[in-house]
Amino acid sequence: MNSFTYVSPKDLADASKAIGPSGKLLAGGIDLLTELKEGLIQPQRIVNLKSVSGLKDIGGSGDFKIGALVTLADLAANKEVRSKYPAIAEAAESVGSPQIRNVGTVGGNLCQRPRCWYYRDAEVHCLKKGGDRCYAVEGENEYHAILGGGPCHIVHPSDLAPALIALDAQVEIFSNGKTRKMPLGEFFQLPRDNVYSENVLKDGEIVTAVTLPKAMAGWKSSYYKIKERESFDWALASAAVAMEMKGTLVTKARVVLGGVAPIPWRSQEAEKMLEGKNLSTEQALQAGVAAVANATPMSGNAYKEKLAASAVGIAALTAAGMEAK
Amino acid sequence: MADEIREETKKGLSRRQFLRGVGAAAATATVVGAVAFRPKTDEPKQGPKTDLDAIPGAVPVSLKVNGKTHQLNLEPRVTLLDALRERLQLTGAKKICDMGNCGGCTVYMDGKPIYACLKLAVDSQGHDIETIESLAPEGKMTPLQQAFVDHDALQCGFCTPGFVMSVNHLLKTNPNPTLDDVKQACCGNICRCGTYTRIFEAALAAAKARKGAF
Amino acid sequence: MAGWNDRKTSKYVGQKVTRVDGPAKATGRAKYTFDIVLPGMLYGVMLRSPHASAKITKLDTSAAEKMPGVKAVVTIAGVNSTLRYHGQEIAAVAAVTEELAKDAVRAIVVEYEKQPHSVRTEMAAKIADRKDAQPSMIPEGEVADALKSAAATIEATYSVPIRLHTSLESHGSVCKWDGDALTTWCSTQAVHGVKEGMAANQGIAQDKSHVICEYMGGGFGSKFGPGVEGSVCATLAKKAGAPVKLMCDRAGEQLATGNGPDGFAEVKAGASADGKLTVVKANLFGTGGNSSRWGLEYPYIYHAEKRDVSMTGVRVNCGSQAALRAPMHPQACALTEMMIDELAYKLNMDPVEFRLKNQSSQLREAQFRMGAQMIGWDKRNMSPGKSKARFVRGMGVATGKWGGGGGPGSQVQVVVNSDGTVLSKVGTQDLGTGTRTYVASIVAEDLGIDIDRVKAMIGDSALGYSGGSGGSTTTASLAPAVKTAAQAARAQLFAKAAEMLSTTPDSLDARDNKVFVAADPSKSVKFTELCARLGAQPIVANGQFDGSLQQGGVAGVQFAEVEVDMWTGHVQPIKVVAVQDCGYAINRLAAESQLIGGVIQGIAMALFEGRKMDEHTGRCLNPDMENYKLPGPMEMPEIIPVIYDTHDKVAGIGEPAVIPTAGAVANAVYNASGLRIRHLPIVPKRMMEAMA
Repeated sequence: MNSFTYVSPKDLADASKAIGPSGKLLAGGIDLLTELKEGLIQPQRIVNLKSVSGLKDIGGSGDFKIGALVTLADLAANKEVRSKYPAIAEAAESVGSPQIRNVGTVGGNLCQRPRCWYYRDAEVHCLKKGGDRCYAVEGENEYHAILGGGPCHIVHPSDLAPALIALDAQVEIFSNGKTRKMPLGEFFQLPRDNVYSENVLKDGEIVTAVTLPKAMAGWKSSYYKIKERESFDWALASAAVAMEMKGTLVTKARVVLGGVAPIPWRSQEAEKMLEGKNLSTEQALQAGVAAVANATPMSGNAYKEKLAASAVGIAALTAAGMEAK
Repeated sequence: MADEIREETKKGLSRRQFLRGVGAAAATATVVGAVAFRPKTDEPKQGPKTDLDAIPGAVPVSLKVNGKTHQLNLEPRVTLLDALRERLQLTGAKKICDMGNCGGCTVYMDGKPIYACLKLAVDSQGHDIETIESLAPEGKMTPLQQAFVDHDALQCGFCTPGFVMSVNHLLKTNPNPTLDDVKQACCGNICRCGTYTRIFEAALAAAKARKGAF
Repeated sequence: MAGWNDRKTSKYVGQKVTRVDGPAKATGRAKYTFDIVLPGMLYGVMLRSPHASAKITKLDTSAAEKMPGVKAVVTIAGVNSTLRYHGQEIAAVAAVTEELAKDAVRAIVVEYEKQPHSVRTEMAAKIADRKDAQPSMIPEGEVADALKSAAATIEATYSVPIRLHTSLESHGSVCKWDGDALTTWCSTQAVHGVKEGMAANQGIAQDKSHVICEYMGGGFGSKFGPGVEGSVCATLAKKAGAPVKLMCDRAGEQLATGNGPDGFAEVKAGASADGKLTVVKANLFGTGGNSSRWGLEYPYIYHAEKRDVSMTGVRVNCGSQAALRAPMHPQACALTEMMIDELAYKLNMDPVEFRLKNQSSQLREAQFRMGAQMIGWDKRNMSPGKSKARFVRGMGVATGKWGGGGGPGSQVQVVVNSDGTVLSKVGTQDLGTGTRTYVASIVAEDLGIDIDRVKAMIGDSALGYSGGSGGSTTTASLAPAVKTAAQAARAQLFAKAAEMLSTTPDSLDARDNKVFVAADPSKSVKFTELCARLGAQPIVANGQFDGSLQQGGVAGVQFAEVEVDMWTGHVQPIKVVAVQDCGYAINRLAAESQLIGGVIQGIAMALFEGRKMDEHTGRCLNPDMENYKLPGPMEMPEIIPVIYDTHDKVAGIGEPAVIPTAGAVANAVYNASGLRIRHLPIVPKRMMEAMA
């Protein structure tokens, strides 16, 4: 870890200015500290966002607002979230471990950097670090992307993002003294658009909140995450499924995959497969198969196709209150 | 009956052959280290005089730990874990993976378990920090710690403080935990010797014994 | 010499005794090497090779030496040194804080000339550097004939990966010089071994080398000497004129302090219709890392009528192997048991019965029968792979053997003071196995006093010699010496008591803090009163090894039940029954804990562990605890440890406990799912690929 100064700004404008091109924002710090310890970043300043007030609120009578500094533990425990947007509570609960969820924040989870073992190795000069190749292509790619990859093949590590996007969340961004809003689905960007950043934030911009449309509270939703190690792991593949249902009939569906693409991967193919049909085990699993129909696996990660397909099927069935078996 | 096993174990790579091998390997390694590694101790190095209070970039840091406030002079990059262990000599929290994967460094911040290795000391100011040393300040074990001993829920003991902290927090917040609750509470802790099932037994026994009050 | 205590009447020995150091560990008071903080202590940090194979063309530490807070820099490699693996030590820095030492390490200028490398056994085995240790002995024709006439045959390749010890306390030490005398706090399995090693590498007399290891946070076979990190720490301390703490960081620990070798078995095997293993032809290979020293026993405990096994050690550009809990046995067991199991199913024979037909031990047969009954073997899946359900369950079995047993060397001293305090002293170490506890309990038992009166003093080279803790030999070596010392102290105590009670020593017994006439317990003297009579002459009794109290050679059988999620490839261990002989169990609680711990490490081997190397960069991809995965709480099955009593001599249990588990779990996965995964660990990737 390089040496840096530590500042506690009093408001967002201050914080934004302090970040500039050579500062890094500190919220929970879970991802930031690992990046610092691995020597992947050498900021001159660490800017403590927690000194800015108003970013920890959660709730609202209209759209449901979740402040960027709400911890994953508080999000997972929130009664309203659990009852109205269960996929989000499940996703938050699936992150890391209790110790991480007590500290890690919503904003941090959305802005965290990838876990790719080539990226995380400071000695490997990969594309994402300004190098000329993605080492996963000819290397060990069992944890890499099967959808949307190239030229870099990371997967986005967030569990929360697929669930939020499935529930049509908007993200609020403080930028140049103003707050702008955009669909969270548009917040993330593919490596082919910008290999150096997984999202569209520019220097000095700060995620301040996500909001969920009130209308989505009536949808049934669930998040299912497949891990190598159940106790504590990243997703090998995950899926968030949200459905508007009349009885067993799915009228509308939103399906977003995690752990399989450089961004949370919305699958309209899967959604089409669910919409207008009565949900059954077979239907749910077929939606999963549709979700990965266009996958382009690498040498060692074709297995993720089946996992992602199962994740979609299980999430859809669970969302509908049906037994997944 | 054991004799035939004794005979059988003489075949193949026997323990004695193996130990000889290890001994030889270990001895060789030592000698090789000694030969290949010839530091020049005849030129004692006089670096710039720097003591702990004159570290470039260090700032005053006030930490409230186990109810007591400590004034330290630390670089902002010092983690809470290193500050606790190396500056306050509160070494119950362990440094194992140093990356938030193992739970050896579990402490409470405002009553909740966190990884001290992923928290800057400077970012811990204004919070109540509790370490395992706060549980048994006079050396008298809590019922949970006693249960760890009674159920042999520890071997090398290096992960133990972290597990005690995780389970202790569970018992504070959940009076009647199930086995699954105990497992969930410990998901952020790793034991290498293999004491998990003993830890589950200890946790459930402690919960049962206290009957609600902890 | 009297034998071990009768479990029907003993209070501690042969019973379940909680650890004497349990409270220190449960409260965080126990001070490990990593926890030592001395006044003025500096922090040592290592610079390691980023390359798998390279020559150093430039090494300049001058900038590092001028960095703030830096007190000493030493080089380990030099210009023209060849580096043979990612993580190999190059230089080290000591500074007033760890952060400043790391800054200085980054300021060391090294230039490398990269050289070709090979880091993966399976690739290296194909190209070069093979060393045929055991060439084929049987004419090809005979093997071919045997295979042709077999009722069932298999031809398959099996493998187990390289595992990293991942001791939670990394390798390292704190070194402090006083003139030419060195004190080393070291996380070690061999207090006296480190004392000797440090003396040798620092060029000092052994009596100037003092080593302390009160507590150590896991070793599993990798912590027998000072290591490069230990000698470097001492040299930094000397150069800086201040104590230095140098503990490996997690990456250094995973890369350079040892690993458990992998194993590959390309096998053709056949069995007769009546279940006899008629032929095994196997080409085995694996790596010792930066050495081609490698080998294992195949087909492990089973007898094959025709056996043709060739063995090849492969050198790769990776850190060297070190003993890892039952070195090469879990590998040999898993590679064998997966094959045996496959053959049993091919023969359509009960896997337990097939095994029994090809091994000759009655002890093991009894263990098989007992374990089968306890897990409910007759309820195993009778049609693997036929179910269409998402969740399927199944059972598997495997067996192991180990030497154990003890040897001479340990020097134990028991002191009984006039205030009734008792010391039991020996320079051994407790790896978490419970050594410290029986160093006290054996003495308490034979003196008839409460265990908390006895202070076990271990972990210090100033105490009597004791060997390193490896091979599950510690208890079988040390416990007899403690017993001998305890018996000698008891004799002296009884001599004193006999005077007071006007009787002869041989008529006395001791229990409940009293010495009394065995035939008339009303004639007694309290232990404390007896001690008070010692005056200025405390009892000092010494003990050495007594071979009649130990015996090597143990067997174990384990049954595993798992549940497989056929949609996700997830394998959940449900139950493991571990039946293990360890001779006389000195402390049944700690022995059971060893058995449980072995099972858990075996589950780790079956389902999670495996070092991953990148062939292109030559770097290890998971020198950490994130992608080097160890099981956590959710992965735990119900574990039933069964100490299978055989004889009344101490054998050892630490290592045998870990041997059969991985094979049993892998076989259970087949029984549940019908998927034969021949390569460990059995991760979802392998399960889903097998379903394709």
